[in-house]
This record gives sequence, C-alpha cells and structure tokens, in this order.
Amino acid sequence: MNGSFSTRMLRTIAAWVVVAVFFFPIYYWTSVAFKHGNDIFNRPPKLIAFTPTFDNFQKVFGISLGSGGITVTPGGGNFYMAPRVWDSIVIATLSTVLAVAIATLAAYALSRMNFRGRHSFVGWVLSTRMMPPVAVAVPMFFIYKNFGLIDTYTGMVLIHALMNLPLAVLLMKSFFDDIPSEIDESAIVDGASRFMIFRRIVLPMAKGGIAATAVLCFIFSWTEFLFALTLTTTSVKTVPVVSSTFVTSIGTAWGNMAALGAASIIPAFIFILLVQKHLVRGLTMGSLKQ
Amino acid sequence: MATVEYRNIAKNFGHVEVMKDVSFGIADREFVVLLGPSGCGKTTLLRMTAGLESVTNGDLLIGDRRVNDVHPRDRDIAMVFQNYALYPTMKVFDNIGFSLEVAKVPKAEIRKKVEWAAEILNLTPYLGRYPKELSGGQRQRVAMGRAMVRNAAVFLFDEPLSNLDAKLRTHMRVEIRQLHNRLGTTTIYVTHDQIEAMTMADKIVLMHAGRIMQIGTPDEVYERPNSKYVADFIGSPSMNFIAGAVETAGGSPHFVAEGVSIGLSPEIKAKPGQKVIMGVRPHDLGISDAGEIKGEVVLSETTGADVQIHLRVAGYDAVAVVPRDERRNAGAAINLSVLPGKVHLFDAATELRVA
Ligand SMILES: Nc1ncnc2c1ncn2[C@@H]1O[C@H](COP(=O)(O)OP(=O)(O)O)[C@@H](O)[C@H]1O
Ligand SMILES: [Mg+2]
Repeated sequence: MNGSFSTRMLRTIAAWVVVAVFFFPIYYWTSVAFKHGNDIFNRPPKLIAFTPTFDNFQKVFGISLGSGGITVTPGGGNFYMAPRVWDSIVIATLSTVLAVAIATLAAYALSRMNFRGRHSFVGWVLSTRMMPPVAVAVPMFFIYKNFGLIDTYTGMVLIHALMNLPLAVLLMKSFFDDIPSEIDESAIVDGASRFMIFRRIVLPMAKGGIAATAVLCFIFSWTEFLFALTLTTTSVKTVPVVSSTFVTSIGTAWGNMAALGAASIIPAFIFILLVQKHLVRGLTMGSLKQ
Repeated sequence: MATVEYRNIAKNFGHVEVMKDVSFGIADREFVVLLGPSGCGKTTLLRMTAGLESVTNGDLLIGDRRVNDVHPRDRDIAMVFQNYALYPTMKVFDNIGFSLEVAKVPKAEIRKKVEWAAEILNLTPYLGRYPKELSGGQRQRVAMGRAMVRNAAVFLFDEPLSNLDAKLRTHMRVEIRQLHNRLGTTTIYVTHDQIEAMTMADKIVLMHAGRIMQIGTPDEVYERPNSKYVADFIGSPSMNFIAGAVETAGGSPHFVAEGVSIGLSPEIKAKPGQKVIMGVRPHDLGISDAGEIKGEVVLSETTGADVQIHLRVAGYDAVAVVPRDERRNAGAAINLSVLPGKVHLFDAATELRVA
C-alpha cells in the first residue's frame, strides 16, 4: 500500500461501502428469516430491533430451540425442506465434478492439439449456449421421459453438466492457453506421453483455473431453475424450485422462504471456501525467464 | 555421442517459406553456434532438430540415422528452451529428474544423477526449492541440469543466456563452455549475440533470412567474411564500409573513392574498374601521420582500455578503435592508415568477397 494517510483512508472507506452494498441484501434476507410474521412487513423495516424467532427454521428444517438446546425433528409439514437442500448439494457437486472433468480434457485438447476444424470448434461449443434454454425445455422433457431420467439425480446431474460445459470448456481453454507450449514441449523431449504431460505437468498448473471453473459451475447448478423445475416431479427437487412452493394460494410464506434462502447460502459458501485456496494467480510463476 | 547432418533442409509454415536449402554437418563433440539476427530461423532449425517442428523438405540425420519422422523422445537429444520452460509445480530436484522418472529409472539412480548434475551446476542447496524461488541464473542452470542428466547425444540450446544481466551472461558463457569440455556432448547453441558466438563456438553457422551465409571457425568468420553481410554482422563495433572502385595507379591496384586512395596487394582478384565496397574493421585502423585516410574527429568514446573514435571521412561515417593514450578531441583532423592485409573488398553488386 502506498499513498498518504487520507488516500488510504478513502480507499478503505470505499472498500467497505462496496462490501456493505453487496452484503445488505443478504443481511436483510437473513433477518427476515428470523422475524415473526408481522415484523416482516413493518414500515419502516425493522433492521435490527426485532424479536428474533427460530420458528421459520423449525418449519423448514425441523430444527427447534427447546430448553434442552437444539433438537432436530425431521419430517412432516409441507414446508419441510431439509432433503431438498441435500438434493441440491448432490446435484450441484456431481454436475460440477462431471462438467469440470469433461471440460478440462476437452479444453486441453482444444488448446494443444491440431485437428480439422479446431478453430471453429470453440464457436460451435459456445453456440449451444446462444439458444435460450427455455427453447429446449420441452424437447428435453420428452427426451428425458423416454430415457427414464425424469426426477432422477442422474438426469439433473447430466443436464446441469451439459449446460455448464460450453462455458467451462472456454474458460479452461483460456487457462491452458496461458501455459506456454514450451513447457509441454520440454516434457515431450523429456520423453513423457501426452497423458503424462497432462496429468503431471499441465493439470497441477491449471489448478487455479479448475477451481475458478468449478465455482462457476457449482453456483450455476445451485441456482438453476428452469430445468430443475421441468425435469423433476416429486422425488428430486432443488432449492430454487422448492422456494417457489412457499408461494401458496393463501399467501406467501416469506419467513420460511427467507429461512431456506438464507440457509442455502451456506453450502455454496462452504464449497467456495474449500476451492478458493486454489484460486491463486500467477500459474506459471517461475517457469519462465522473467 | 553423435554427429548431426542437415541435407537441403527447407521449412514452410503454411505457404510461407522460412528456410531454404540449409545444408551443413556437425562433427561429434563439436560445439556449433547458430548465429543470426532475430527471425532468421535459428529457433525453427533447432526445433526441427528436436522434432518439435516437422521438416518440410530435406533430410535430417542424427548419428547415421535419418530422424525426420522420429519422435522427439527417440532422437536422443536434450533441449534447453529460450524461456527455460521449467515445470513450475515441481521442485528443482523433480524438474531435473523428470526425464529419468519418465524413463522409469530406479529412484536411487535418479537421486545419484540429479545430485551429480546439481553438484556441477552449483544447485545442490536449491534442490528443494520451486522454480519461482530461484533467480534467473539459477533457473537457467536448472534448465541445463535437466538436459545434462539425460545422457543425450546432442544438446540443443536456444538463446539460454539472453535474459541474464551482462555479468552473469559472461559467467555462464564460461560455465557452459567448460561443461561442454567436460561432458563432450555434441552441442548446437543458438544465439543472436555475436560475442557469445565468437567466444563459445568451435564452428559458427551464420544465418540470415532462412539461409546460411557462412560456416567457419570464429577466426575464419572474423578474418575472412565471405560477404558484406557477414562482415557487418560479426565484430563490434561494426566494420566500416566505403563504396568505390578498383583502379590501377602507378602499376599496382588501388581502392579509390572520393578523397580516399588505398594501395591493395598485387594478387588482388578484382579487375580494374570493378565497383567494390571496401570494409575495414575499426580495430584495423591506426593513427599515423602518413595515413591515406584523412578525416575529422566527431566524437571520442572511452570504453576502458580503448577509445572509439567516430569520424567523418570524405562524406562517410567511420569508427576507429585506438589505444586510450591516442585519444583525439572532437574537431581534430586525423590521418589513419589501414593495417597491412586488413582490407576486405566486396563486389558492389553481389556483396560477395573479392579479396
Ligand atoms: N509457428 C510459426 N508459424 C508461422 N511462422 C513462424 C512460426 N514460427 C516461426 N515462424 C517464422 O519463421 C521465421 C523464423 O523464426 P524463428 O526460427 O523463431 O527465428 P529466430 O529464432 O532466428 O529469431 C520468422 O519469420 C517467424 O515469423
Ligand atoms: Mg529464436
């Protein structure tokens, strides 16, 4: 850090303002999760001075705060959503693993190998994302129905991985492109096979890129709504889909919705914490001259 | 150990021809320097030798084997890349030992070889470090170590010293040459730095625009450049050139240009009247009152033991290098003579050597 005291001060204040702007909605939504029904609609909104309650979480997750501490009583109730969070975790994790695995291999090939149509390939890959997903929702439904993939983990993992692949491939390709080809060539001269180069040299260097790609894939799957809605019925449902069920004919259960929403930040947050230590910059540091 | 031979090598990138009809041989244990300006095809030729670039036309032989279509790992070569290309996620030890590990050499033997190389290269204290924790010179030595442990028949170096500072470069020059004397591995060394070439090479191959301009020992290339291009490229400061013609005066051939007339040796091959370019190295000009070349000092630069005198001679710029105690001030009139036998003559049209 350099600059005078006042510029440093200003910089710090600016940083905190930005953080506050981004953090406020999360705080507000989380506070709603702890509010009684009438506090939620209070005007002006009660940002701090409200009597907290755990009722919303109790209904959504079967967690209650009794005299004997926290007790968990699963099951029951239309708003009991704990299994849905689990569904989301399974689908997001597996689809991320699948998408990143395929994308990494594909991107390495695109970045390093020479084959016919290599240059148009990236365009083709991307073109699949130029179509609005809703355009393929109905065909997808019939395909899934015929293959018996409706309402299954497999089905959801596949569709989310599929949706993520184009961007993941593109992103990983740009990371591989940043690795100088001399490093591969040096290993070729050293006698290593293509696969060995990939596994021993390129992959460890691309760790940061893989982490970044994984975060994007996870968040996409975690928040995806359209296919999660159309390709599932009862046994597999993700958080975004069930969030909409809080909107009922007799009104919207804002408190419960907020409880689910606030809680659903946690798994995504944990996932990002786990991978963020790999989000390092300077992936070729030290390999080259200067 | 091995010889290398290039027979009529040509290289195209798509429709662009970057190399044509390159032929020369390298003897076993020889240290050959490929020298030329940036973009003349040195790296391309080296990469073809390594097998990283295909040969468009011609035959490439390592040992007595034609290797045009042989995979790089089976060519028995080791290469040090222009940018080192170390494996950043491996420690120095694993960087050096990687090729042995790939070849499934037993662990104990890998250790022995890596430690041997590290000892020679003064890298022993750094074996546990990552490349990013090393200085430029140390990285350079790791790249050399990677090549050394392989027992390759041919070493290929691509401008290995170009990013080091001047002092380190001088030091590494000596080290690389000593290493070669010690290991005796046939070496092809690419550089654009003529001083590196002059100091290190057994044989210089001077390239320009994808062609070979001259092949010879450093002495041959310096003392008998076969074209104006080579004469200009080799030597620092560069050779002085004056365009003129050969004329016979008083029964012996003279080089004559505006304000200049210099006697030539009688066995000169140039015909009287032939338009030529005369070249004289700055070191081959001496100050003498009887000198045939009359000029005016523009600037004197002291470089240490010597002084570079920049002059105007009859409408030409020239440089002379003289001992420091013969320094002259700007504006002084000066007479220079060419040391006997140090005149180079090139045909004005072909720029090839005539004497
Ligand atoms: N992969 C390539 N594709 C097209 N042209 C290339 C390629 N590599 C090198 N060239 C061209 O070939 C010529 C020689 O390049 P190079 O061998 O790298 O020169 P040097 O190493 O002597 O500086 C240059 O004109 C360069 O532009
Ligand atoms: Mg080069």
